[in-house]
Amino acid sequence: MLHLFVEQTVNGIVTGNIYGLIAVGLALVFGVAGIVNFAHGSVFMSGAYIGWLCIATLRLPLVPGLLVAMAACALLGAAIEFLIVRKTLGSSQMAPLLATLGASYIIDQGARLVFGPYTQPFKTDLPKLQLSLFGATVGSIDLIVAGVSLTAALALWLVLRFTGIGRAIRATAQDRDAARQMGVRVGRVNLVTFAVASALGGLAGALIGIYFNSVYPTMGFNAMMKGLVAELLGGMASMPGAIVGGLALGIIESWGVALFGSSYRDLFAFVLLILMLLFRPQGLLGGKRIPRFEPMTGTLPSLAKPVKPPRILAALLVAAAFLLPLASANPYILQILVNAWVYGLLALSLSLFTGTTGQMSMGHAGFLAIGGYASALLSLRLGIPVWASIPIAGIIAAVIGTLIVYPAFRLRGHYLAIATLGVGGIVRLVILNWGSLTNGAMGITNIPPLSIAGFDFVDVRALYWASLAMLVAVAFLQTRLVDSPVGRALRAIRDDETAATSFGVALGRYKAIALAFSGFAAGIAGAFTAHMYAYINHETFGDQVSILGLTMVILGGLGNVWGAVAGSVLLLGLPELFRGFADVRYLVYGLALVLIVRFRPSGIMGID
Amino acid sequence: MRTSRKNSSGYPAGIAGRGLAVAALMALTAFAGFAADAKAPIYLGVSGPLTGDYAQYGAQWKKGFDLALLEINGSGGLSGRPLAYVFEDSQSDPKQSVAIAQKFVSDPKIVAELGDFASTASMAASPIYQRAGLTQLGFTNSHPNFTKGGDYMWSNSTTQKDDAPSLAEYAVKTLGLKKLAVFYLNTDWGKSTFDLFSSYVKTFGGSVVDGEAYLPTDKDFRAAITNVSGKAPDAIVLISYDTDGALIARQLRDQGAKAPIVADAAIFSPEFLKVAGDAAEGVYTSSEFFADDPRPEVQSFVKAYRAKYNEDPDLFAAISYDAVFIIADAIKEGAPTRKGIHEGLSKIKDIPSVIYGKLTFAEDRRVAHPQLTHLVVKNGAWTAWTGK
Repeated sequence: MLHLFVEQTVNGIVTGNIYGLIAVGLALVFGVAGIVNFAHGSVFMSGAYIGWLCIATLRLPLVPGLLVAMAACALLGAAIEFLIVRKTLGSSQMAPLLATLGASYIIDQGARLVFGPYTQPFKTDLPKLQLSLFGATVGSIDLIVAGVSLTAALALWLVLRFTGIGRAIRATAQDRDAARQMGVRVGRVNLVTFAVASALGGLAGALIGIYFNSVYPTMGFNAMMKGLVAELLGGMASMPGAIVGGLALGIIESWGVALFGSSYRDLFAFVLLILMLLFRPQGLLGGKRIPRFEPMTGTLPSLAKPVKPPRILAALLVAAAFLLPLASANPYILQILVNAWVYGLLALSLSLFTGTTGQMSMGHAGFLAIGGYASALLSLRLGIPVWASIPIAGIIAAVIGTLIVYPAFRLRGHYLAIATLGVGGIVRLVILNWGSLTNGAMGITNIPPLSIAGFDFVDVRALYWASLAMLVAVAFLQTRLVDSPVGRALRAIRDDETAATSFGVALGRYKAIALAFSGFAAGIAGAFTAHMYAYINHETFGDQVSILGLTMVILGGLGNVWGAVAGSVLLLGLPELFRGFADVRYLVYGLALVLIVRFRPSGIMGID
Repeated sequence: MRTSRKNSSGYPAGIAGRGLAVAALMALTAFAGFAADAKAPIYLGVSGPLTGDYAQYGAQWKKGFDLALLEINGSGGLSGRPLAYVFEDSQSDPKQSVAIAQKFVSDPKIVAELGDFASTASMAASPIYQRAGLTQLGFTNSHPNFTKGGDYMWSNSTTQKDDAPSLAEYAVKTLGLKKLAVFYLNTDWGKSTFDLFSSYVKTFGGSVVDGEAYLPTDKDFRAAITNVSGKAPDAIVLISYDTDGALIARQLRDQGAKAPIVADAAIFSPEFLKVAGDAAEGVYTSSEFFADDPRPEVQSFVKAYRAKYNEDPDLFAAISYDAVFIIADAIKEGAPTRKGIHEGLSKIKDIPSVIYGKLTFAEDRRVAHPQLTHLVVKNGAWTAWTGK
């Protein structure tokens, strides 16, 4: 068995090296510019395609091919910084995050248009030898991939340690203002950092392409998620930490697959991540203190004031929304609005937790999934009527959600964000693997529709009114909550946890209140969705749903009830509006996102 | 009925020329506002992935549809009316597929709907199609409950019930490989195929020594391969789609695993050969059709497909091609209306089909028993297996 163990460990080290390389790029940008670069996955994918173009198609040798890929990605990274991120810096910390998300849509869709949706095999002339090590087989490609990525990491370390620009980067990461006062041109440092990080990301992409012998346009998203987890494992913004985090993640995944199978791969990684966050939040190499520098705290709230429509206008808008189906009976428009109202519930839920309370969540799809499955199972297995199972599911989502996120409450900013990403992933994987309860991969079919006093809510107008009523009720309650003393305490936590504690605000209790309310809103949204679709499986509520919800809240203006709903209508409406652009529509959507952030950095319903 | 397409002479130039003429004619009709007259096109709605994770399958669908339309419209359309489709991109995302469903049902010119791809997108839209009385032909939907969504849900998808026993028979009885290690996609399709397959393997006297479930997003199979190799199986069975199947085959060979590979029919495609490269050599699979299949419907399809696209078709292109002809035949039996198509589908009998040879819908609105041919990859091409 020893040789199996060695083989699994080698597998883990090779993949882990590449995770580490992705994580280093993320950590660099995070350290210097203080943002999570959501376009990093897309740069990774671009690197894979350029490497493929040079090495597999133009038959360049390995090293020049990789260098071209790195150079091209450095240019791409610099372009992202110069054209997109720079314009949004200094407004709110969330704007550049959205800007990079928009950039990633543009790049991913562009790659699909240029190279086609098909997977391309990455053929190389590299020797394919099998070496023997303690009776275990190790491929020569494994060694080459591991060697190249280690060399790149070493080169980066040398640059950061011994060159002028390296020193400037480190200084900016340590203290941006102090660096500026010492004459460092931090704008230029940002540009260089994006370029260097992107070169490494591109290299990682090309290496993954070679290692798995395939490149395809959507390969970036998962890679970026893995990079984020690795970055956090190692300690945010720490270069050696990112490498160690990547290696640890790779090895643990490999052992996890060996013991439990591939379906448990991410479950294992996420559980480990959360344990890590709880017991050693500073990361593997993060020293003894909790990192002092955490750019998310205190910057989450935009400095903007929310636009609040006067009461009369608000009442008129709600009335108009209720009357709309009588005026226009176009079921297509109504269905989009039903989706917008249901996602509006998700946005409200996130707006309270992330916007008002300042706790960033990237795993809210997990609450939708719990709500959806709970209501579907209650109505199907226990025969509970749907009008009752939806609110019960909301409560279940609130309780389970609060219980599993509660231990993570002492985490802040990005740490909590990634812990919640892990929670969302765990919920989805538990649903997939707990077949006896959830029917596993087959999903749940024949979920009955919502029905009150013998009237089935199946017609789109009935669904419209039901979802709008739920949205208005939750929005009303949330407005009251936000305006109450509880709301003031929540905002105090967002603005300064230490100050809030010293004024007697019990952090854990108030965060739990916010999360329970938030979980309830998301839970009933998931439950309503399940009864509307009649079929759900573990893929119905994926990571993309969490990210979409977060985008809605940021775009609408954080902590802003009207903004959350506006964000939902806009983000679900735009892709439908752009149907005329056919398969270019998500490129246009990305462009629209970038432009909105550029001109309304505090959200569409916020005033600077 | 459909013999006309076998008669069509003059591939490829004729087809291309006719295609242009039809396109021009359709454009004229659309822009000149001649709608509702006897020459107006009959529209089908398609809900499927053109962008996002499943974009490659939508691209294959289009190729199958376009070829079928060329042939139908090239020989005069349906009672003089050309057939056309409106493809709406859903990314196979349920919140988009339900909106598209509402769009189609409220558009009176759409008389039938094809798709969606993934179960979650297709089945979320089913209640809308069912209530509106618009046929949803889920031609890739193998989920056992898909056609139970209502009497307007029809499917000509191949299913686990046919594929799994054939796969087990090929591996255990035909090739004599008893100890099997299986990689299967952990989706509704993969899981149910695996369960059925395992029970058939047992009946045939073999055993499944390892089952490695993986997710559609997985690309790294090395750890699982190390597991599998530890069990020293006689053969490795892939219940996979083309790209993931190719990656597994590739990584198996890269890691020095030498056991023969037997794969489910779903991997049959040129894409598998392209991505797997030399690792595809010697892979066994079965398929409902393949390029050298002498059946006339297959020969005419493959010939036309090669002429138009300069490549070999895969299962998705073939089944989408079939799907259009199923609707066309239902229109001939019934009428070019929603009701007419619904009634026509239950009347069509033994129509020619690339996948099934002759196609008739059973009580459960599915098609049973495709003819599967055993294949093996030889010199980088799919060839009929002729016994060692």
